[in-house]
Amino acid sequence: MKLKRVKLHKKGVSYEGFVLPSSTDKTIVLKLESGYNIGISREGTKVEEMGEIEVLPPTKEISQERGEIAILSMGGTVCSRVEYKTGAVFPSTNPADLMRNLPELEKICTFHTKSLFAMLSEDMAPAHWSIAAEAVKKEIDDGIEGIVMLHGTDTMHYSSAAFSYMLRDTPVPIVFVGAQRSPDRPSTDARLNILNAAYLAKGPIAEVGICMHATTNDDYCYFHRGTRARKMHTSRRDAFKSIDSKPLAIADYLKGRIEPLMEHRKRGEGELKFDNRMNENVALIYAHPGLKPKLIDSLAEYDGIVFAGTGLGHLSTDPFKVPHVQSILPEIKALCASGIPVVMASQCLYGRVNLNVYTAGRLLQEAGVIGSGADWTPEAAYTKLCWVLGHEKDPKKVAEEMMNPIAGEIINRSEVD
Amino acid sequence: MEEKPKLKCGIEIHQRLDTNKLFCRCPSILSEGEKPDCQMLRKLRASESEMGELDRAARLEQERQLDFKYDIFKKNCCAMETDEEPPLPIDKEALHLVLGICQQLHMRVVDQIHVMRKIVVDGSNTSGFQRTALVATNGFLETSKGKVGIDSVAIEEESAGILENMADGAKNYRLDRLGIPLIEIATSPDILDGEHCKETAEKIGMILRATGKAARGLGTIRQDVNISIPGGARVEIKGVQDLKLIPQIVDIEVGRQSKLLELLEKRKGNGNRWDQPHVEDLTELFGRTECGMINRGLLSGKRVLGIRLRSHKGALGTEIQPGKRYGTELSDYAKTAGVKGIIHSDEDLSKYKISPEEAQAVMDALNAKESDAFVLVVSEEGMGRMALARVSDRAALKEIPGQTRRVEPDGTTSFMRPLPGRARMYPETDIHSIDINAEILKEALAGAGEGLEAKSDKLRQLLNPEMARRMLKSRNLKLFEKLVAMGVEPMLAAATLEDTLVALRREGVELKKLDSTMEELFKEYLTGSFVKAAIPEIIKKMEKGAGIQEILTENELERITGEELKELIIRNNKDLGLIMRNYRLRVDANEVRELIQTV
Repeated sequence: MKLKRVKLHKKGVSYEGFVLPSSTDKTIVLKLESGYNIGISREGTKVEEMGEIEVLPPTKEISQERGEIAILSMGGTVCSRVEYKTGAVFPSTNPADLMRNLPELEKICTFHTKSLFAMLSEDMAPAHWSIAAEAVKKEIDDGIEGIVMLHGTDTMHYSSAAFSYMLRDTPVPIVFVGAQRSPDRPSTDARLNILNAAYLAKGPIAEVGICMHATTNDDYCYFHRGTRARKMHTSRRDAFKSIDSKPLAIADYLKGRIEPLMEHRKRGEGELKFDNRMNENVALIYAHPGLKPKLIDSLAEYDGIVFAGTGLGHLSTDPFKVPHVQSILPEIKALCASGIPVVMASQCLYGRVNLNVYTAGRLLQEAGVIGSGADWTPEAAYTKLCWVLGHEKDPKKVAEEMMNPIAGEIINRSEVD
Repeated sequence: MEEKPKLKCGIEIHQRLDTNKLFCRCPSILSEGEKPDCQMLRKLRASESEMGELDRAARLEQERQLDFKYDIFKKNCCAMETDEEPPLPIDKEALHLVLGICQQLHMRVVDQIHVMRKIVVDGSNTSGFQRTALVATNGFLETSKGKVGIDSVAIEEESAGILENMADGAKNYRLDRLGIPLIEIATSPDILDGEHCKETAEKIGMILRATGKAARGLGTIRQDVNISIPGGARVEIKGVQDLKLIPQIVDIEVGRQSKLLELLEKRKGNGNRWDQPHVEDLTELFGRTECGMINRGLLSGKRVLGIRLRSHKGALGTEIQPGKRYGTELSDYAKTAGVKGIIHSDEDLSKYKISPEEAQAVMDALNAKESDAFVLVVSEEGMGRMALARVSDRAALKEIPGQTRRVEPDGTTSFMRPLPGRARMYPETDIHSIDINAEILKEALAGAGEGLEAKSDKLRQLLNPEMARRMLKSRNLKLFEKLVAMGVEPMLAAATLEDTLVALRREGVELKKLDSTMEELFKEYLTGSFVKAAIPEIIKKMEKGAGIQEILTENELERITGEELKELIIRNNKDLGLIMRNYRLRVDANEVRELIQTV
């Protein structure tokens, strides 16, 4: 990108600097010699042009010999780059950009990098999970020791859950990692997160999981199980929590320790069961007071539906015929009857779905709603349904498979803290 | 008298504003002396440069993991200060105040303000950058010696206050101060001399205080003085607290640069030879030394390292600041590497008990000629080599280096670090640009107080000309106005704040909570329960924490008035002198005079 150098003259005062992209035609945004940016309205301003400069040098390719671990990038803040003059932040397509800022990485492992996508994680769809899983399978087939997945944090727990199903019994660690503070900032959390992710990828725990700050301190990270992790804060470094479970482990490359907190599969124990077929036509619906029957009707075009129900897993069924209540039970019944799997999770996030306690739950169960007894997060349930419907159409078998724990998404005992 | 070299001098003033914090809604209050509610541990590191490259030096620096510990106080820190939440929009009150001050300084405010991130990785900002925005340029200030240009005014975040450098190299900061708004005012280098510099600083300070929204108290205003002379270099003198010291600081710095120029000239005359710094390990030469410092060093495994400085004989002993020689300057450089100091050949070596034979052996080992000098350090090897390399690099310079220097209480200065390069700044993308229009400017001007002139006129109506002048300059101006608004006689309020408190301070009485103590004192005074003359005594007791009622009763300071006073007058035979001598702190002289006529 080229920037113009100009001198602006306005009411006897002149300003010299580079012209930056401006959000409006009315204002010229100038980067001054001092480094400050200012905006000067175009009205009454004389512009004297003084040449131009190139601002963003092309990113250098780093020679990529095959390493012990593979760092695959799916985009997000963790791979963002800033163009310092304009301040524009854009996803980098070259993970090598990031690695240049992490000289310590070389001390942890040898690695090669590959960019799968340069995208924001909120833009991600099940198709992206399938493509990424394919790339991971290829690395595992080629004998890689571990995988680090760079990913945007917003939907990282969807991807990690989806990977848990698609790459069952992985023989090597598959570690998702993101950043809540972009790498251009000296205070970025990307550094500690990535270094610990690489440390885990070389380590003994062969699970799909998420590695992020354990606390607000820059000291160690948690490795959360892929199906139990959830982003629980919009901005904090320790936004990711394990729901209804301890994290798999503490990762602390600085002290050279990986401290398991849970039972886990060890490196080499498993044999990869790969199936990356995903049904993209699944909906995840957040229940709320006043949910309209017409919305439920419109869900008939989906192949499967997951509800984040209230409490133990409820939707409005109006068993007591109270005035002004719009029960959606008939619509749910119709969906189930038409062979569309309807799955229940809870918007409480913590705790188990139980459709036997209240009348509403029983009515939903009678209608054919699946999920009673599962302590899954809405995201783990949603990604599982995408995956099950990717290879199974028979509603009965879908229901069976959904309730059969395969990757820690359902834990049959609720442990006491 | 020899003519002083023409100097270039400007000042930069940072003043904390008494509004909420700049980018969150925390109050701008400090937690001085309080225990933190919690702590956190962070690391910072500069990322790649604007050009997408990281040089080797920076890379090495990065490998040194620097830990920062932060003390957090819940009442004035939120997720913003801990860098766990994006910033909120800029505090409107602070921005408007700055816009108002800019207009009082005849500045041209930009049409759109852009908040920037200025990279700072010393830990003083949890984010690793300071948020700052240029608000206006091209202003001026009228002074007794003509106009002084105001180059720029910026609004920015205050940094976190450092508590201590911990033994392991980690630093401990407190987050209460972080994010308090600062106005930064930088003048052009139009200042003519030290007195003029002081006048300029004072006047800007008065303008700021006249808004009634400048924060008060120790450290709330900071002056940096920039000085250079022809042939010299720009030196930024940091942390000038006492304005009275400014003329002296300027004179000393002009003297320092002049002396350094003379030394450079002299060296040119000597051929100005220079060679690559070559550090020698001279430990062997001191096997039987009587020098206590060296012996203690050797016992703890340290080495004696030395370096030759060509054509430097006599230079190191030349005084360049009052009581400070060029050798001290080089020592400051050595100290930045971590050593305690240096020994050099222009010193009286006998005070270290280094024998002439040992000195000669050092000269020989370093292959030094008569016109050369040497510098020694006693240190662990790596640190010592780095220290001597820094000394050598400084001594090799053929011009005066630009520096940031720290001011000492006696007005001399010490080297802190080289002048920073141009700040690395990039836009704060989390904050929208702010459009400024005529309406906003008008509102801001109205909100920034009546201005210095109007304030001055008002004070002259309330006080005698001398006290009005003093009050205008005083840091207690705002408190004075508050007391007057309560109904206290202006002269009494002013005299208490400007004379009584100063006199008490000399006696060692320092009020910790000035505002609240004065308000409590005068509230009680207005009820008539004691007389003016008792004020100093009462303040002394209040400083120790006693309540005012308790002070009055326990020390018999309650006012004697009315019937009781009449009786007293009768008992004392209407002798005014006698009564005032014995009851000065309890009676009002005017009332006594009046009653003497009536009883």
